[in-house]
Amino acid sequence: MSEPTAVAEGTEQLPFNDAVPGAVLGTWAEETDKAYLVAPDKLIPLLTHLRDELGYDYLSNLTCVDYLTYQGKKRKGVQERFEVVYHLYSTRKGGGHIALHVRVPENETVPSAVGVYPGANLQEREVYDLYGIRFEGHPNLRRILLWEGFHGHPMRKDWKEAYYEQDTKPFKSRHPRGGYQFHEDKLPWGKNTTYPPGWDPDTWQEPVAYVPVSMAPHPVVQDPEEEERRPHVHTESIVINLGPHHPSTHGVFRMLTRVEGETILALEPEMGYLHRNHEKIGERNTWLMNMPFTDRLDYLNSMSNNWAYALAVEKLAGIQVPERAEYIRVIMAELTRILNHMWSIGFLLNDLGALQTPALYAIEEREMILDLFEEVSGSRMMCNYFRFGGVVRDLTPGWLERARYLAQERLPRALDELDRLISENEIVKARCRGVGYLSAEDLIALSVSGPMIRAAGVAYDIRKAEPYGIYDRFEFDIPTLPNSDVYDRYYIRLLEAREAVRILQQALRDIPGGEVHGPPAYASATLEEGFGTILGGKGGYTLRPPEGEIYSRIEAPKGELGFYLVSDGKPNPYRYHVRAPSYINLNALGPMCVGYKVADAIVVLGAIDIVLGEVDR
Amino acid sequence: MPTLPVPTFTQVVFVLIAAFTVISGLGVVVARNLFHSALLLAATFFGVAGLYVMLEAEFLAVTQILIYVGAVATLITFAIMLTRGAMHGETNPLNRQWGKAALFAFLFLVGLLGYLGGIPWPAPFQAIQADEGLIARLGEQLVTRYMVSLEVMGLLLMVALVGAILLARDDKP
Amino acid sequence: MDWLNLLVYPAVRVLVLFFVLLTGFAYLTWYERKLLARFQVRYGPNRAGRFGLLQPLADAIKALFKEEIVPDHVDRPVYLLAPALAIVPALIIWAVIPVAKDFPAVADVPIGILWILAVAGIEGYGVILAGWSSNNNYSLLGALRSSAQMISYELPLGIFLVSILVLAGTFSLVELVEMSRPWWEWLWLWLVFPLFFICILAETNRSPFDLPETENELVAGFQTEYGGMKFALFFMAEYINMITTSAIMATLFFGGWKGPFADQYVWLGPVYLFIKVVALLFLFIWVRASVSRPRWDQLMRFSWQFLLPVSLMHLMGSAVFTVFLK
Repeated sequence: MSEPTAVAEGTEQLPFNDAVPGAVLGTWAEETDKAYLVAPDKLIPLLTHLRDELGYDYLSNLTCVDYLTYQGKKRKGVQERFEVVYHLYSTRKGGGHIALHVRVPENETVPSAVGVYPGANLQEREVYDLYGIRFEGHPNLRRILLWEGFHGHPMRKDWKEAYYEQDTKPFKSRHPRGGYQFHEDKLPWGKNTTYPPGWDPDTWQEPVAYVPVSMAPHPVVQDPEEEERRPHVHTESIVINLGPHHPSTHGVFRMLTRVEGETILALEPEMGYLHRNHEKIGERNTWLMNMPFTDRLDYLNSMSNNWAYALAVEKLAGIQVPERAEYIRVIMAELTRILNHMWSIGFLLNDLGALQTPALYAIEEREMILDLFEEVSGSRMMCNYFRFGGVVRDLTPGWLERARYLAQERLPRALDELDRLISENEIVKARCRGVGYLSAEDLIALSVSGPMIRAAGVAYDIRKAEPYGIYDRFEFDIPTLPNSDVYDRYYIRLLEAREAVRILQQALRDIPGGEVHGPPAYASATLEEGFGTILGGKGGYTLRPPEGEIYSRIEAPKGELGFYLVSDGKPNPYRYHVRAPSYINLNALGPMCVGYKVADAIVVLGAIDIVLGEVDR
Repeated sequence: MPTLPVPTFTQVVFVLIAAFTVISGLGVVVARNLFHSALLLAATFFGVAGLYVMLEAEFLAVTQILIYVGAVATLITFAIMLTRGAMHGETNPLNRQWGKAALFAFLFLVGLLGYLGGIPWPAPFQAIQADEGLIARLGEQLVTRYMVSLEVMGLLLMVALVGAILLARDDKP
Repeated sequence: MDWLNLLVYPAVRVLVLFFVLLTGFAYLTWYERKLLARFQVRYGPNRAGRFGLLQPLADAIKALFKEEIVPDHVDRPVYLLAPALAIVPALIIWAVIPVAKDFPAVADVPIGILWILAVAGIEGYGVILAGWSSNNNYSLLGALRSSAQMISYELPLGIFLVSILVLAGTFSLVELVEMSRPWWEWLWLWLVFPLFFICILAETNRSPFDLPETENELVAGFQTEYGGMKFALFFMAEYINMITTSAIMATLFFGGWKGPFADQYVWLGPVYLFIKVVALLFLFIWVRASVSRPRWDQLMRFSWQFLLPVSLMHLMGSAVFTVFLK
């Protein structure tokens, strides 16, 4: 490895250096979200120290930034092109994160964090796929979102897509006074379908011999020779592709499953069939343009996605949110949570083979929630309702009454009905009890978040652990269940939906300001003055957050939804990364399925509750 | 010119069923695929059951279907499906001894025909009353005259079952 | 003369029977879709004709005009044979079921119950052939599950049938319906009707025992590679099987064509049988709408560890009753 660029000695004493000497070289982004620069060769000792001594047991986010075209002032003189970013949390202590940066020049490797945090598995593969950074010691460093025949690493700033025009939007060609041109005529990069050198699409064969990173508590037979030696009637194991086109994968998702009889020996998730490089598009967009784009991540919960993104940008740019808008945000987020949990319960039952009856009962109330969404935002699923500093428009007249009726009457009743319908069913119990077990420690090590860890007895909920918005004002509990099996993952969702109803009732009771009175709850008020004036910089109608970076997360219905944003003071995000809960929860899929039957794998996947829009991004 | 006798309905049916049985029996031997052989074996069993019906032994016919087609042949196909190697393509090749085997089969047939020719068949046979009385008598015979053989058979199957379980048992707890 | 008696007369009966069964199949799909919709707070088909009554016709036309695709990797003769083999047992089992006083559907053979058992035994062939010939992992697993499931559930089913046989003392279904039974015998029969019904669900591969075609695990199981009319034949087999088994259950447990005045007016017999069959079909659909699917090993365990001992005990009980009370 080359010598790391010297970092100016700060006046502040650098932490952790007494425990791991020479680990922390300096700090970065002090104003917005302080991060520590770490020497690459000291990374693993430092991570181990943080995990074992200081209780930072949860690797929330691992991603990378390519600083090739960075225009900010603060990074002058830094040679290394890439920075790999780690965000660590403590599930025991709660509170904020520790951010670590590792500067990497091109063509250098970084030690893999999989040994310390097994949850780094999928995220490191993603970084390798999109940035081409190799992680030394990763057991299965293959492309994950893109296929092997993809030339280049698209998140690098010098990678240009087909029909490339400009680095950032708004594109000049779209301006009304610009001449009209066919895109095909002006391609600097041609059709841009080249293959990596030495790669032939006709002779390429997909590698079936995969190495599952399995932490399963059950014995796994990986080695064919060992399989031969096993003292029982030898049967050949076969590889079954569950997916990509399969009714139970809730989209285009593939589970490469090695089964013996019907018992799963190994299972490897394969994703990326819906990959559209959300993050690259996000970096081309302006800050505001990304707001409707977040709807398309977890398309069931667009309101939560909106909020997570709005919250990150608000923290980065220092924008205040009016009181009424905070309440509206909580109401929308909790409605989304109920909707999502009912949906996932219904479709878990579908995966159990209950032919849609429970699903249809579960989504009856969802229709009414969607009606409410449509009324305020104009769209049922792609709501695009939040703005930096509020929401896009105030509630319509009568909306609150309808929401109160829903929260007081319909939703509690619907949840009780689902409870009665499903919870005591013999077949449901027989199918779900004890299936897909993974201990709480394993789940946290695998970076699993959301209802899954709460079903393992870990009372960790970001709304309590690191409150955002106005969640500290409401009275609610974090339900936990002890067994960490599919049944508990089902039941925890029901309990959480009940808590969400509680929050909803309080928020609908306390929401300040009428339809006419009170402070404006929508961002257009601030937009009229122009963001530039608020931020004290030059005027302008496009938001330009100050140079810096932020990692901010919320408790989305599916788990921890985080946005990692880097701004270089320009109208477009320099880096826009989504920490998608569905994607990272899939870390646990393989370990949870091993040793169970094929039929169980379907149910385990259903209980993880993924949405492919978010997994593949 | 001698007039050919018009075949009765029964005769036509008999010829059809017999031809079906013989052809599928031949197929069992010559089929190139093990699974096809197994299926043709089931078809042969069917043909034999048809012949039993022609003989007005419905009970025997139905039992034949129940046991041979419904259980034995199903089990054979099941076993073939469990062994993937023996599934598709030419999995039932003729080996080098097929010529000798055919020769011996032919000799056996000749011998059998010679023996059959010597049996005095009761030409105008009496129709047996194929009602429940017959089945009841069959049952009675099984628990009186053939008692020992029945029990021995049961014991044999029991032993086979226990052996199969022992073989298939996983050593895992 | 024997040509007429042996060929023409039964052929006419068979044709009538097929016509009734195929129409019944078509409207059973309508019945099921309507009922399922009602169970699931929906409307069900309501566009083709009044109450969607023409929906089966539309479905039939659609299936007929689908392109016949035979995938390259399949074992062609077996692949084409399988749908036909699936539907034959469902139809021929009807031969022995009495539809009115002294009037079996085709023939009164003295071994009616054995006939049912035998035909039930070969029902699995269509599925096995389809699964094997499709040369597809999903199909193969579906076929394996199907064979194992059928073998397992045939045992208790057969033993229940033998138990009924011991009580009735006759092999003929015609006689079985017409004989008068004491009240305790009815009670003793109805005691095991739920278990018998479970066996029948497994035999017909109906939900919750639809493991050979589990949509969520095996896509469509043994019929994954089938489309158009060939798929429709499997579909038909499943539904005709439902009708057939309902008729068998009605005959064995609920007196078949019997009902008030059915002795005097022969035409009432089929009407009563129809009503009973429709009621039993309702049961099939009700179960489908409300129960989720057990896992396959749980299914097998249930058969071997619960159904089989219970059926054996029922058989012993029947024998004791017959000896001491009849």
